[in-house]
Amino acid sequence: MSVSPSPMNPTALQDELKRIEENTRTLLRVSTSRATVAQTPKQVIWTLNKAKLYRYIPIVPAEQRHKVPLFLVFALMNKPYILDLRPGNSFIEYMVKQGYDVYLLDWGAPGPEDKELKFDDYVLDYLPRAIRKVKAVSGSDEFTMLGWCIGAILATIYAALRPGDGLKNLILLTAPLDFTDKKAGGFVRWVNDQAFDPDKIVAAFGNVPGELIDYGAKALKPVENYIGSYLTLWDNLNNPRIVESWHAMNTWVTDLIPMAGATYLQLIKELYRENRLIQGTMVIRGERVDLSRIHANLLNVIALTDHISPPCQSESIMTKVSSKDQFLLKVKGGHIGMMAGSGALKYTWPHIDSWLAARSE
Amino acid sequence: MSNESETINPLDPFDTMNTMRDASLKTWIAMRDAGLDSWSKMMIDMVNSDDYSQATGQWLDTYLTLSQPFKRMIDTMMTQVLTGLNMPMRTDVTGLAERLTNIETRLDDQDAKLDDILKAIKAVSKSNPVADTSAKAKGAR
Repeated sequence: MSVSPSPMNPTALQDELKRIEENTRTLLRVSTSRATVAQTPKQVIWTLNKAKLYRYIPIVPAEQRHKVPLFLVFALMNKPYILDLRPGNSFIEYMVKQGYDVYLLDWGAPGPEDKELKFDDYVLDYLPRAIRKVKAVSGSDEFTMLGWCIGAILATIYAALRPGDGLKNLILLTAPLDFTDKKAGGFVRWVNDQAFDPDKIVAAFGNVPGELIDYGAKALKPVENYIGSYLTLWDNLNNPRIVESWHAMNTWVTDLIPMAGATYLQLIKELYRENRLIQGTMVIRGERVDLSRIHANLLNVIALTDHISPPCQSESIMTKVSSKDQFLLKVKGGHIGMMAGSGALKYTWPHIDSWLAARSE
Repeated sequence: MSNESETINPLDPFDTMNTMRDASLKTWIAMRDAGLDSWSKMMIDMVNSDDYSQATGQWLDTYLTLSQPFKRMIDTMMTQVLTGLNMPMRTDVTGLAERLTNIETRLDDQDAKLDDILKAIKAVSKSNPVADTSAKAKGAR
C-alpha cells in the first residue's frame, strides 16, 4: 500500500481526504459493478439449446493464418470469457493475433429442463455438432481442441471415442483426470467422505447451484479467497492497472452458473470416486472410453500450484495415450492464474503458441 | 519514500512523526501479511483434513434433510395455486423447452445433411467441369 505524507498541514490534509474519497469510490465501483469483459470481436456461428459456438474475427490475412483451426472447450461451471477477459489479458486475443482461426464453445447455463444432461450428451451430441461447424466454416478437415478443467475431461473423452474425426492436436489445461490419490486436494477428500451424498444434492436442487460449487472452490483456500483478494485490492487502490485487472477477475469469479445434475453425479461418482476414466472403465452411451485410442499430438499443461486439480491428477494421462508426439508442460501458477494471471502472457501463452504453431500447418 | 526520508528535518517534530508513522505502517503491513500467511497455511491444512471433510459432509446432509420438507411443501402449494389460476407449471415450461431443443437438434441434422450435399455437388462439379457449365447455362435459361 502506498503511504502518503502525513496530513499535518491543511493542504496535505485536503489531499489526504481527497485520496481517501477517491479510493472509497474506486472500491465501491469495482465491488458493486461488472467490468466490461470478452471484447475480442466475434460472431455466433452455431447454437444448440444453451450452447453457442463463437468464431473470433481473424485479423491476420488468410494466406498468413495457420491452417488448422483452434477449438476451445471450457469447463461446464463458470463462464468461458476467462479466456477473453480483457484487452491485453486475453488468451483468445493473443491467439487471434498469432494467426489462429479461433472458435470457442460456450456451454451456457443449464436450465431446470437440462438437469438430465450427462457427459454422454455433451461429448456425443454437442461436441461433434460444434466440431462439424468449425470444420465447415474453417474449410479444414483437421482441428485442434483445447480443453480446460472439466472442458479437458470432455475433450479427452471425445478424443478417445472419436479418434478419426480429424483431431490433429489435443491441448489439455489443468485436466482433472486421475483420482487415484484420494488425499490429493480438498475436493477429492470432501467428495470421498461417506457423509457426502451427491444424490441428495441433486435431488434437492436439480442442477447444482453455482454458489455451491463456488463455495467449494473458495473453501480450498479460504483466507486467500475471502480476505487476501480484497486486501490486495485495498493495498493497490492507487494502481489503476491492478484495480482494473481485479475488477475483471472479480466479475468472472462472481458470474456463476449451475451444473447439470446428472453431469455432477457422473463427475463425483464415476470420476472422483471410482476413477473410471484413467482406469479405462468409463462407458459413454455404451462405448468404453479407451485412452489408448488417442493418437492426436498432445500438449498437457499443468499448473504447479494448482489446488483445484493438483498436478498428480493431470500427469498420468501421458502414459495412457498412444500419441507419439506428446509434451508435458509445467508452468508456475494456479488453476486459473496460469491462463489468466499476470504471468500468462509471458509464460503460458507463448509456450502454447510455439508448440501449436509447429503443428498447425 | 526514500526521497522523503532524505529531506527530513530532525528539528521539525512533524517530520519526525511522519517518519515514525510511515515506519510503523510498513511494519504493521509486514506483520499483517506474515499473520495472514500463517493463518492461510493453517486453514488450508484444516480444510484438507478428514475431520473437516466429515463435518462439511454432515452439515450439508443435515441442511438438505431439514430443508427438503419445506421445499416440498412450497412446491405443492405453488402447483395448486398455478393449477387454480389456470397457469402453466414449471413442468409445462421445461417440457416445452425440451421439445424446442429436440427441434433444434433436428434442424442441426438437416443443416449437416445440406452441408454434405453441397460438398458432394462441389466435388462433382470440380471433377466434371463440362457438366457444371451446362447446368449453369440451363439455370440461366
